[in-house]
Amino acid sequence: MNMRLVNATPDTTPTTDEVQGPLMFEVRNASKAFGSNRAIDSVSFGVRRGEFLAVLGPSGAGKTTLFRCLAGLTAMDSGSATLADADVTSLQSRERRRIAVVFQQFNLVSRLTAKQNVLAGRLGHVPAWRGWLRTFTEADQLLALECLDRVGLLAQADQRADTLSGGQQQRVAIARALAQQPDVIIADEPVASLDPRIGGEILELLRSICHSREQGVAVICSLHQPHFARRFADRVVGLAAGRIVIDVAANIFTDAMLQSVYGHTNPIESTP
Amino acid sequence: MSDAGAVLDAAVDTSTAVSDSASRARLAYAAGLRGGSRSRVKFVLIVLAVAAFYATSWQLAQVDLARLITGLPKLGHWLAQAWPPKTDELPLFLLRMAETVAMAAIGTTAATLLAIPMAVLASRNITPFPKLYLPARWFLNALRGIDSFVFALLFVAAVGLGPFAGVIGIALHTWGSAAKFFADHIENAQMGPLEAVRTTGAGRYTAILYALLPDVQPVLLSTTLFWWEFNVRASTVLGVVGAGGIGLELKNSMDLLDFSRLFTIIALILVVVTLLDQFSGWLRKRLT
Repeated sequence: MNMRLVNATPDTTPTTDEVQGPLMFEVRNASKAFGSNRAIDSVSFGVRRGEFLAVLGPSGAGKTTLFRCLAGLTAMDSGSATLADADVTSLQSRERRRIAVVFQQFNLVSRLTAKQNVLAGRLGHVPAWRGWLRTFTEADQLLALECLDRVGLLAQADQRADTLSGGQQQRVAIARALAQQPDVIIADEPVASLDPRIGGEILELLRSICHSREQGVAVICSLHQPHFARRFADRVVGLAAGRIVIDVAANIFTDAMLQSVYGHTNPIESTP
Repeated sequence: MSDAGAVLDAAVDTSTAVSDSASRARLAYAAGLRGGSRSRVKFVLIVLAVAAFYATSWQLAQVDLARLITGLPKLGHWLAQAWPPKTDELPLFLLRMAETVAMAAIGTTAATLLAIPMAVLASRNITPFPKLYLPARWFLNALRGIDSFVFALLFVAAVGLGPFAGVIGIALHTWGSAAKFFADHIENAQMGPLEAVRTTGAGRYTAILYALLPDVQPVLLSTTLFWWEFNVRASTVLGVVGAGGIGLELKNSMDLLDFSRLFTIIALILVVVTLLDQFSGWLRKRLT
């Protein structure tokens, strides 16, 4: 490590407080087409442990396709996504727990309790029969309750998911992601179905999870509100027409860069 | 340019040439009238086809109201003979009725248990073997298409007289109906939670049991109860082909023209079926 510090090449990008360390998750030349429509085209970026990366882009820019490829839900046509040293597509069923996904529609099992939904995050760790019978060890149950406490919903642990508000459901979904003890959390428009205040709270929560010393996961989060990206992210990647047009630290993300993502004809909210 | 193209161009020309809303509305109204007369012709044709269908059916079914009128007094005469009911054989009737309810219970439960894996196979969105999707659907349609009564007829020949043949008949037919119903329900279920649980590293079947089963469980239980109730009613006749239950006594009474015995049995069936309907209705309401 010392050697590397001494020989470190000077940073080419003029950024401040950029997260250092080896890449946790890296995408290289990811491409995916549906017929003749190139949804994503040679997309490359990386994210480090403890780094909150926001992906911005207009509707139809390919964000959802990109995120489905990152999560291993859709196979990419070419390119690769690597988690530490492992190729995402080669991750065996149980190994998928290392990548946690948070969805726009929360995707909780509506008839199960908050706690049971969080325990779903342990399914990649425990033998299959425990999942079939929905019986978990004391340690797993304590971990699930801890995760619920982390998102501020310990009191609602035994409440059925469909009785919770949208913001609470997304918190449960984040607790489920935490219970997976993942290396990276991929959040696809996690606040698009929530009002701005609740959305801000959810992003604040994701950010604190990302930056906390003990968890220290990487977060890749797609957003369509630029001011959220500026406020919560460490770095911003801009996606337009399936290609990466911007990849900079959030604190130097300018309005001009914003226009290059959303196009010139479309005046976007540019003030935080 | 083709004729259709020319007509289309002309239409575009008129619509752009007409400047005011009133004229455009008049044009659209005229077009609507033309369309209206076409749909009126269609309507008359449909009415004629339906009428022909019922006329043919009436012939094939040999409906003869005169025979009904001459036959009704006979029925009244039997009814008069039915009183007083035969209560001396009540213990036997109760045993046979219990047999019928048991046949329906075992058959329906077996069918439901068999239906769960089959429903997974026959659901387009979660089947582990997409190639088997259509064959699974065909198989279920075949089971559904053949009535319990027909199956019982076959199995009486195969496994011998008695309620067991009836159980198999009920189980096979209900298997088809139940699995198709569950599969349709699964195909309409939200896939988001299943996908989310899959990403936690759960296996395919674990995810189905964890994310999908809680969703379909209430429907599964309440429809199973409904089928049990339905099968009790259906299996009262299974005894007629020798497949056990109260139907056997029903047939014997009819063969002997012993009407007080016959009507005692029918009254017993009515009482038991009504009580079961009430019970299962009450239970179903508590489940959902």
